[in-house]
Amino acid sequence: MIKLAIYGKGGIGKSTTVSNVAVELSRMGYKVMQIGCDPKADSTLSLRKDDKKIFTVLELIREKGNDFSLYDMVHEGESGVLCVEAGGPAPGVGCAGRGIIAALDKLKEKGAYDEYKPDVVLYDVLGDVVCGGFSMPMRAGYADKVYIITSGENMAIHAAANIAMAVEGFKSRGYAALGGLILNHRDVKNENEKVKELAEDFHTEIVGELTRSSTVWDAEELGKTVLSAFPESEMAEEYRRLARKLIEI
Amino acid sequence: MTDIGILRVNTMLIKAGNNSDRIKNAHVLMKDAAFPSPFGGGLEYSSPARGTWNIVHTGMLVPEAHEIFICAASCLRGVVLTAAEMNALDRFSTVEVKENNLLDGDMEELLIDGVTDIIQKLPVKPPAVLVYTSCVHHFTGCDWKVMFRTLSEKYPGIDFIDCYMNPTLRKSGLTPDQIMRKQLYALLKEKEKNPVSVSIIGNDLPTNPDSDLIRVIKANDLDLHEITSCKRYDEYQEMAESSLYISYYPAAKAGGDALVKRIGGKHIYLPYSWNYDEIRRSIEILKQAISELRSNASLSDKTGSEYSQDLTDDEKRILECEQAYRETLELVGDTPIAIDYTFCPRPASVAAELLKHGFNVKRLYLDSFTGEERDDYEFLKKNYPEIDIYATVNPGSRFMAAENEGAREKWLAIGQKAAYFLNTDYFINVIEGGGMFGYEAVTDTLSLLREAFLEKKDMRNLVQIKGMGCCGCC
Repeated sequence: MIKLAIYGKGGIGKSTTVSNVAVELSRMGYKVMQIGCDPKADSTLSLRKDDKKIFTVLELIREKGNDFSLYDMVHEGESGVLCVEAGGPAPGVGCAGRGIIAALDKLKEKGAYDEYKPDVVLYDVLGDVVCGGFSMPMRAGYADKVYIITSGENMAIHAAANIAMAVEGFKSRGYAALGGLILNHRDVKNENEKVKELAEDFHTEIVGELTRSSTVWDAEELGKTVLSAFPESEMAEEYRRLARKLIEI
Repeated sequence: MTDIGILRVNTMLIKAGNNSDRIKNAHVLMKDAAFPSPFGGGLEYSSPARGTWNIVHTGMLVPEAHEIFICAASCLRGVVLTAAEMNALDRFSTVEVKENNLLDGDMEELLIDGVTDIIQKLPVKPPAVLVYTSCVHHFTGCDWKVMFRTLSEKYPGIDFIDCYMNPTLRKSGLTPDQIMRKQLYALLKEKEKNPVSVSIIGNDLPTNPDSDLIRVIKANDLDLHEITSCKRYDEYQEMAESSLYISYYPAAKAGGDALVKRIGGKHIYLPYSWNYDEIRRSIEILKQAISELRSNASLSDKTGSEYSQDLTDDEKRILECEQAYRETLELVGDTPIAIDYTFCPRPASVAAELLKHGFNVKRLYLDSFTGEERDDYEFLKKNYPEIDIYATVNPGSRFMAAENEGAREKWLAIGQKAAYFLNTDYFINVIEGGGMFGYEAVTDTLSLLREAFLEKKDMRNLVQIKGMGCCGCC
């Protein structure tokens, strides 16, 4: 089982990237599970069939205690991608990090990995590593590799560095290793140089690059992945290349 | 205090309503009692009847082990008192969690460093350490694997086990009681099985040697182990050799299943009951399991032997029970009886059988019925709908003892909480079934009931002793 966790600054394009990668891997024949680790529960929006509302793990826990099944948590989406949303508390209250812990524990407890036996698990994780809860996907037993999506914007680079430092700090624990950076272009000044420098600082590489493209926004407007909405586009090809790169590493 | 001050205090402390109003929410008639929970949840009252064991008491059953609690100071207070009261402070230590640990995110380091510091200062290194974490460890997402791996690497000669004091999680998954009884045996290391070794697991108190359980085991020349009789850690570890594990306390079932999954063997759960059919079934299951055990060890089956049969002849034992019922009823007559859940795990079963035999059971003190009590519940609801059910943890329960203060009617209470709430000194002072099982539970309890009827006890002082029997002093 290949298990990857994708981190990066909020709004940098994690869910978009992860969803497109998930679709491509699924079309390549892999059984893919995408787990959104975000209280907003919007990781798998573009994968859901017919705009169907899905219950997050925490909603199920809240409403039903332990009285729900694995199949209530896992939903088949676009191209057969298995979609899970951890969910979390309402905005402004509670603790999202604790929610992620509870959600991932519940998935394990209900036997998600044993039952579905996915070939690939993608953890799409909120923003930055802000507390213990959000580092859960990095832990032993979860992801084996962490990829960080960044642009050349300073805030994205700061966030990426912070996440890379966390991964570095957990090295002795046998947690996930840093697999590399994914450069999602914003076309800012010296973007390539800045991200390259970041990669060198953390002894890693840029494993993929994604062009800043209106095709992405157009697909988002349609509520679909680029691979579904515009399969012939150059952008779709970039996601395919990234997916193949991630799977071979 | 000045006159004005006293007047102000007295004014502020005027009671609103009377006790009967307050108790309303803590009471329901059997006919109206919902299964399994007749009462809603919420704020809880804790009565002074404290004989049942808590996680400190139970953890101390592991001989020579040391307990370390890691939590905020106010939570430590309760467990420190327990350890002090049971004269076990030499086996108990604490690490205090403070606000800065949450803010700085060094909860894991605090646990590792704190436990290390304690072990280094102990005069003798214990063979095992029970590390009790608290809610904040779950809250902050501490990594138990990392913490315990680090400790084990530092102290390869010490076995560490994770235990929990986390009341915020008590409503989901296994209860704290179930988890504690599971972790109690999680230190057992896989060993070659001894085909004639049997362990009774999950009890805080030793099983009565006269119980049908032990009689069958002994009659078959099996080597019996129970944590309550282990004085040394290596004796405790010998339990890992057992091929058969038996539990009869409901909270022990999950632990028994987990144990055999990890170290092998067979686990059978025999529910505590006063119903003859259930007791017969349990003994049959036990005999079958022993038969298999002996067969696997190529030993002859002794469960059908004359000796074994005589000891556990159901009909003979039932006659003994019936005689005990008659003798007791003759003595106590229609004295009202109340039973609570601290006496045994199946108060409804006890109530049903006593009622069938003509006893005047009027009250049950319990907060919920267990799944095993479904049939007893249905029987009581159908046949004795006017039985009073009283909650023991409802805020209204706080006023029940005062309501019965100075009451003239003599009540017999089976259990500490029933005794406390009824303000009666005529009670059976037994917790958690008292190690009794099967037909013997019936005859011995009835003997205690006769004794309770004839002899007063100092209820107020007795029920406040925590962890009855934990240090062999009561």
